[in-house]
Amino acid sequence: MQEVPTITLDRATDEPAYEQIARQIRALVTAGTLPAGTVLPGVRTLAADLGVNLNTVARAYRLLADQCFVRIRSRSGVMVAAPPRRAAPDASASLAAELDGLLARMRQAGVAADDVRRMVNQGLGKASTAGRESES
Amino acid sequence: MEGRAIWIVMALETLIAAGFMLIIPLITRRGLLFGAYVGEAQSEGEESRRITRGWYVGMAGTLLLTLLLGSVLATSIPKRPELAVLTVVVFLGGTFACYLRAYFQARALAVTTAVSSAAAPLLADTPASLALPLAALGFALVSGAVAVGYAWIHYPDLPARMPTHFGPSGAPDAWSPKSFASVMILPLGTLVMGVMLGVTACLTARAKRAIRERDGGVSLDAQVRFRRAMARFLSGTTVLVTVMMGLMSVWAVRTALGLATGMPPVLMPLVIGMVVYAFGGSIYIAVRYGQGGARLERRAGGAALTDGLADNERWILGAFYVNRNDPSLFVEKRFGLGYTINLGNPKAILLLLAFFGIMAAIVLVSLTMPQTGAR
Repeated sequence: MQEVPTITLDRATDEPAYEQIARQIRALVTAGTLPAGTVLPGVRTLAADLGVNLNTVARAYRLLADQCFVRIRSRSGVMVAAPPRRAAPDASASLAAELDGLLARMRQAGVAADDVRRMVNQGLGKASTAGRESES
Repeated sequence: MEGRAIWIVMALETLIAAGFMLIIPLITRRGLLFGAYVGEAQSEGEESRRITRGWYVGMAGTLLLTLLLGSVLATSIPKRPELAVLTVVVFLGGTFACYLRAYFQARALAVTTAVSSAAAPLLADTPASLALPLAALGFALVSGAVAVGYAWIHYPDLPARMPTHFGPSGAPDAWSPKSFASVMILPLGTLVMGVMLGVTACLTARAKRAIRERDGGVSLDAQVRFRRAMARFLSGTTVLVTVMMGLMSVWAVRTALGLATGMPPVLMPLVIGMVVYAFGGSIYIAVRYGQGGARLERRAGGAALTDGLADNERWILGAFYVNRNDPSLFVEKRFGLGYTINLGNPKAILLLLAFFGIMAAIVLVSLTMPQTGAR
C-alpha cells in the first residue's frame, strides 16, 4: 500500500488554517513528496476532509498559486506546478526583496554570517535533491 | 393465511434487526463507543467492556419481549395482523432506551479535552468512483420517467376504477376510483425513490474521509474501500428498487386496461431477491469492512481519530452531526453502518426536508385514497 501524503490542521495554534495548509503543501512540494503534475484534492473535497470552510482551502490554494507552487485550472483542478526554467523578472525582484527582509531579521536576531551561508547551502542542497528525485 | 404470513415476516425482521444491533459494537471504529469518542485506549478498557455487556443484555431482553408480545398477539388475535405494529413500537422503544443508556455511560468516559487536530489525505477523488452511482442514478431517472410516461399516456383509456393493491398471487384485491393520485402515485413513487437512492449513492461515493493521524495510510485505505463498497451496494439497491417499482407501475396500468390479469410472475422472485440483497449486503459490508473500514484498519493500532469523528461537541446524542464550518453533506456515522447528514449544512437540511416532505406526501395521498375489495 503506497502511503499518501497527508496534512494536519492544529486548531490549538494561532497560525491561520489557510497558512497551515499552504505551508505543509509547500514543504511537501519542496521535499519532492508531491512531484510536478500531482493532482491535489479539489477545494470542496479538502475542505470537507479537514472540516473547514471552502474559502479557507481556496485561499490556501490561491496563495500557493501566487507563489508558483500549484496551477489552478477550472477543468483539471489544482495541480503541483513544475518550476519554470527561468524565474520571471517580477518574481525574482519580489523574492529578492523578501530575502533582504529575512536576512535583516536574521542579522538583527544575532545569527552569524557563516551560519546564514550554511543554512542557505543546506536549503539549496535539499531543493536540488528533491528536483532530481522528481525528474527521475 | 396472509395474517399468519405477516406475523412470521415481522418476527423474522425483528430477529434480523436485533442481530444487526448486537454486532454493531464489533464493527465500530476503535476509539468510538456507542456514539461517543472515548479515546483509542479507553474504548478497549474494562469500563467500555462493561457498558457493551449492558448493551447485549438490554438488546436480548428487548428481543425476547418483542417476540413474546408478537406470539401472544398472533395467537390471541390472529385476524388482526395490523397489530404487528405494536411489536415494532416495543422493539424500537427498547432499542432506543438501550442505546441512550449506553451512550450516556460512554459519554461519561469521553475525552474531555477539545479536539484540536484534523487530518486529510492529499489524494484527489477519481472520476471512476462516481461512475457506478451516476449510472444507477441515470437508470433510475430513465426508468422512473418511463413509468410516469406510460401511466400518463394511457390515463384517458383507463377505466373508472383502478387496481391499487395486489395479493400474494399477483391478482388485484383492492380498487380505487380513477384519479390522478390512484393512477400516478406508483409511477411518481418509482421516480422519486429511484432518484433519492441514486443521489444517496452519489453522495456516499463523495462522503467525507475520516482518517487517523500518522498511521501510515492504513485508515485512508480502509476508508476508501469501505466507501466504495457502500456506494456500490447503494447503486445496486437503486437499480433493484427502480426495476421492482417500475414493473409494478406498468403492470398496474396494464391490468387496469385488461392487458394483464395481475403482476408478472417475475415480480415475487424480484422482491425476495431485493430483500435478500438488502439484508445480505448490509451484513456482508458490516462483517467484511466494519463501519468506516473499522475491521480493515486494525493494523493502525492506537492512532487517534481526528476532527469530526473525534469531536464530541459536534454530535447530538452521538447520532446527529452538526458542524456549520464543515462543507460535507454526508459524514460517517459514529454508531451503525453507513453515513449520516451534516445538519449544520443548509443544503443537507434541504435534502432531508425534501425527502421527508415527499415521503409524507406519498403516505398522505395513499391514506386518503378510498379503497374497496370489490371491483
